Amino acid sequence: MTVSDDLAPPILKADALTRRYGRKTALDGLELSLSEPGVLALLGPNGAGKTTFVQTALGLTRPSSGRLSVFGARPGDRAIRTRIGVMMQDTDLAHTLTGRELLELFASYYPDPADLDALIERCALGSFIRQRYGKLSGGQKRRIQFALALVGQPDLLFLDEPTTGLDTEARRALWAIVRDVAASGTLVILTTHYLEEADALADRVVVLKDGRVIADDTADGLRTRMGGAIIECVTALDDDALNALPGLIALSRSGRKLRLQVSNAVPALKALFELDPELSDLGVAQPTLEDAFEALTGQPQTEGA
Amino acid sequence: MANAYLAEIKAEVLKLSRMPEFAIPTLILPVMFFTLFGVIIPGSRDNAAYLLSTFGVFAVMGPALFGFGAGVAQERERGWLTLKRAVPAPAAALLVAKTTATVLIASVSLGAIYAVAAFAAGVELSPQVWLGLLLVHVLSAIPFVLLGLALGFVFGANAAVAVANIAYLGMAVLGGLWMPISVFPKIMGQIAQVLPSYHLAEIALGVSGAGGETALLGHILAALAITAIAAGLALLAWARQR
Repeated sequence: MTVSDDLAPPILKADALTRRYGRKTALDGLELSLSEPGVLALLGPNGAGKTTFVQTALGLTRPSSGRLSVFGARPGDRAIRTRIGVMMQDTDLAHTLTGRELLELFASYYPDPADLDALIERCALGSFIRQRYGKLSGGQKRRIQFALALVGQPDLLFLDEPTTGLDTEARRALWAIVRDVAASGTLVILTTHYLEEADALADRVVVLKDGRVIADDTADGLRTRMGGAIIECVTALDDDALNALPGLIALSRSGRKLRLQVSNAVPALKALFELDPELSDLGVAQPTLEDAFEALTGQPQTEGA
Repeated sequence: MANAYLAEIKAEVLKLSRMPEFAIPTLILPVMFFTLFGVIIPGSRDNAAYLLSTFGVFAVMGPALFGFGAGVAQERERGWLTLKRAVPAPAAALLVAKTTATVLIASVSLGAIYAVAAFAAGVELSPQVWLGLLLVHVLSAIPFVLLGLALGFVFGANAAVAVANIAYLGMAVLGGLWMPISVFPKIMGQIAQVLPSYHLAEIALGVSGAGGETALLGHILAALAITAIAAGLALLAWARQR
């Protein structure tokens, strides 16, 4: 009897998880173990394997090799599905049913569904819950889908791009609910291309690339690990001169504006002023999650897949 | 669990009843044609008992082919069926609910035809025969539902409507639902042998006694065989999806 035998199984555990589609490898020996409630942001460039990973966890696709267990069981088991909530990206619900009727239908699937009136209030759906789904705006449809994901009071909640099409107010309201749900003991797995969203919500950030985990840390951890600072300015200096700057990590330009990523701001700034006393429009900032993401994956986080 | 089946049935009935573009033709057409061919056209009342038997099959075929064929294709394209697999909806609930909704809608259509037959066309049958006829007509839904299901899994939403339309009219005419296949050239009579509509209509005629001598057992076996093939097709199409 080892110590680990006494513990509940992890909420989700991937061992050498591999999924191939023909000659394309979507997941390539992925390793991940999630035991704590909270918000996990799953990030990665297009084709990194995020969607395949989520679909495997939902039991919609099977691994080619390796193992994925959810609550210690095989994904897709009905008993497991009663503990999972899901909001998918490209789903359109029955246009002729009202939001309320959809909630009632989904509530019937779960052993311990949420109180519908309370859920409608919590998600602020009251003003359009009795309208037919097909008549709603894109944002309202997303909010109904979000409420459907919560109706079973899940222990594990998958949200795939949950705030696409939402205005700022609705997005912040949804974030508040996600934080609440996570605080009450649910593990929320969030895939998003809004890094601001991941930054605002995630306790843990997992970055996938080519079907593997390339980073697994907190958002702050990722930023700190990347270190350094971002310097923005307008200067007449050319790239050759700039490449001689101490601690230069990356350099990019947009219009007249120069953007430098450096390991340490002070020596780089000193050198810059020596080289170009005419330097203007100076700004110095901490790297964002976006910067960390680009440094890790070599590409900006983009929409889709 | 029982709750989930009831909720699913309620949702399917609401969905069907809120799609007038689907409900109106499948509800109105059979009783309208029946009234035309069995009541209005002079001398047609002699055929009313015959047409009652065959139009009952026609009335069930429409909701089954369109509700399942077109409905499943659309829900599949919209990702609704994928979502249903991810949530703990009982796997059979959707099938049971859609079949129940189809039979309910078809029953309205059947009721209208029966009423016209009894009160306007002067068809007189014993209560047992009415019940027998109702049973045959309702059970007719099964092979059509399975064919509709296969169609819904194979074709996209737009193509499924077109194919369902062709199947609907083709099986009605070539199956002898509108007029006996004996009036058609011989080759068309041979096509009828593979159509569920033909065998189901012959069974209904056997029960109502309006079709003269029929080889009832042969038609029942043929209908069962076609149903089994339709079930196989539906299973195959469903498995291919996953």
